[in-house]
Amino acid sequence: MTPEPTPSAPPTAPLSPAPHRHTDTKHGGAKHGDGRHDGKHGDTKHAEIKHSGAKHGGTVPPAVVRHESSRPWQLAALAGLAAVALALGIWSLLSVDPARIGGTGLVEALPPVYFVALALSLAGFVATLNLRRYTPALLAGQVVVLVVILHAADPIVHGLPRLEASYRHLGIADHIAKSGQLDPNLDAYFNWPGFFDLLGLLSGATGVRDLMGLATWAPLGINLLLLAPLLALATRLTSQPRQAWAGVWIFYLTSWVGQDYLSPQAYAFMLLVTLLACLLSVFSGWAWPTGSKPFTRSLAHTVAKLDPTVPHQGMASPPPADAAVLLVVCAGFLVAMTASHQLTPFAVIPVLALFVLTGRLRLRYLPILAAVLPIGWLVFVASAYFEGHLPQLFGSFGDVQANTLGAVTHRVNGSEDHVMVVYTRLAEVAFVWVLAAVGAIMAHRRRTAWLTAAVGALAPLALIPGQPYGGELLLRLYLFSLPFAACLAVLILIPDRQGAPGWKRTIALLVLGSLLATATVVTRYGNDSMEKFTPEEVALVNRLYATAPAGSILIEAVHDTPWQFQKYSEYDYRELLSIQPRPDAAPLTCDSTNRIAQRTGAYLIITTSQKRAAELLEITPPGDLDHFIATCGASPGWTKVFDEAGGVVFHIKGAGNGI
Amino acid sequence: MAFDRKYVTYAVGGIAVAAIPLSFFGPEGLRLVVIGLLMLAGPGTALVMLLRFGPPDGPETRSMLPLAVSIAVASSLALSTVVATAMVFSRTWSPPVAVCLLSLVTLGLLALDAKRTRGSLAGAR
Repeated sequence: MTPEPTPSAPPTAPLSPAPHRHTDTKHGGAKHGDGRHDGKHGDTKHAEIKHSGAKHGGTVPPAVVRHESSRPWQLAALAGLAAVALALGIWSLLSVDPARIGGTGLVEALPPVYFVALALSLAGFVATLNLRRYTPALLAGQVVVLVVILHAADPIVHGLPRLEASYRHLGIADHIAKSGQLDPNLDAYFNWPGFFDLLGLLSGATGVRDLMGLATWAPLGINLLLLAPLLALATRLTSQPRQAWAGVWIFYLTSWVGQDYLSPQAYAFMLLVTLLACLLSVFSGWAWPTGSKPFTRSLAHTVAKLDPTVPHQGMASPPPADAAVLLVVCAGFLVAMTASHQLTPFAVIPVLALFVLTGRLRLRYLPILAAVLPIGWLVFVASAYFEGHLPQLFGSFGDVQANTLGAVTHRVNGSEDHVMVVYTRLAEVAFVWVLAAVGAIMAHRRRTAWLTAAVGALAPLALIPGQPYGGELLLRLYLFSLPFAACLAVLILIPDRQGAPGWKRTIALLVLGSLLATATVVTRYGNDSMEKFTPEEVALVNRLYATAPAGSILIEAVHDTPWQFQKYSEYDYRELLSIQPRPDAAPLTCDSTNRIAQRTGAYLIITTSQKRAAELLEITPPGDLDHFIATCGASPGWTKVFDEAGGVVFHIKGAGNGI
Repeated sequence: MAFDRKYVTYAVGGIAVAAIPLSFFGPEGLRLVVIGLLMLAGPGTALVMLLRFGPPDGPETRSMLPLAVSIAVASSLALSTVVATAMVFSRTWSPPVAVCLLSLVTLGLLALDAKRTRGSLAGAR
């Protein structure tokens, strides 16, 4: 195994001048490449000796990096700005009236002060980035403020978990905590129970049966937990720490997919980012000698031609025994990921394979292990699911159009407001990818590091021919590629040299950040009217549980109910309509419910969120659920059990009158 | 730096020790905080303190902090996941025993770190 790409492997005569990185030092840098100090910075206050080795891809890291101090009042002012932004952000979110949230989501109900807070937060970050002295603690504070303002709106405004899936996840964890048993036939989740086992362990060991608070604040907690892994990864993808911080900032500004709720996907994504950061930091380099065989020589030459540099920052050089322990830890991440989520482990495989092929990972067998684990799990552990879902798993294998355009087209449906939100999402994704592409091209031209990030951004797309993942594949692939794409995007504006980027670039970054943040307020919270729930709806569900005997059939008109957070296996849960746009939807008839209830009877719940979802996605004709309640509710055998602010519950008598 | 390490060791060790009785009884809020912290970062922090990412006091050491924090959290959660999942599949589900196991792993790693640090100091002399 060779340590790194390769100043020596290919004949790189055109590449021989030291890559451009770190060489243009305006604010306290030193000319390096030859390790000499330029001697022009007599006013610098602090100097730090850095590595002088040049083994990483021909780039010589700085021999001496000088930090100029920032004035204390600047630091105090920026810290104050962050505090003001945080206070205004939280205050403005607390003053939101959830009833005003309409078809385009939370943006309709946000007061102007919220946008002032957001602007202050963005200005605080870019101004901190432009300080003469690199101040990671203050940058971290600015990013945390942004995370709170941009990603904690749901818990602050609603005080309840968003998305019905959050409630289901709590129910699965509760089931495991109580019984320690899995029921793979009850739900596909039980075939990948790792994350729920973790929650069940927390619940069982602490005696806290109600993890609703954890689910409510999960978006904030998960985004904060992601900060360190994202920064560690960005540090290995970029040439200097300010680029890394800007990459993390762009990630949070463009992370609209909303998978940061209490979910296996959020957990697996955090493991994924940590795994990749660890591998690139500790095990970077070619997996084979690059000069012995024509293929490996040619590969190394091509890679060096594309990108002659590998970022040095963030490189770790542990002793062999420690590296071996870290390898075991990385394998542990793969195991935990495999046990917890269906898709993420498969996304790891192409990323690792391409890292090996581009000399960024010297563990040639790791991609094989990464493939064996999820396939083995699917075949041997999730065998019940595997055997029962072969058509879903492989039915659209190779059908790229169905898995991409088909899924997107299906989503561009629903009310005008919803379609506008979907188009905004598509535009934001396209914009991020354009920025990433431009960043990669610019970095290639100025011969700074870009290839690792580009490979990481593109590799997950290899999953496209696989299957549509319930129409969500592109959404997830965007999430997997975002940490890399964000690091490419910042290469447009943040220079490769150490030091402040300068005011022109800072203002441009602020404009870009404002654009992305505004778009993300729309894209992230665009479905808020149907994804949020009210305490009245949860209270209605609790009343239903108190009334319906165990074993009853519980029916929801539209699959958007905050239930199953308890008694997950004690009832037979059914839905009349899935939460998918249905162009030219037919009215809901009483027959569909009567058929389900005809033998043993059933309870039907229709909540306000279900009505909003039906209107927003046009699952039913406008006003159809109200009409359904009025007409079917008066049918023989139908009894209204509850009629409250959260919705209505009917009992439908069965033929056997069993319940 | 040594000052920081010492107090982190005390904190992690204290949480690991406290989690053992709290996994059986105690006020819910306190159990949630202590056991939650143990599962979130206990064994991983002990592991990261044991590991050496490069030469001590090397210039890269400070830039390793995000990676060290990431590994501490992710490895703690991953270990908790693996332990819990193994218990479920082996039908030996017992959350208090799982927490005791995590505590023992944490304390073992801290002990190894103390031994390694003493060895390094003795070697330096």
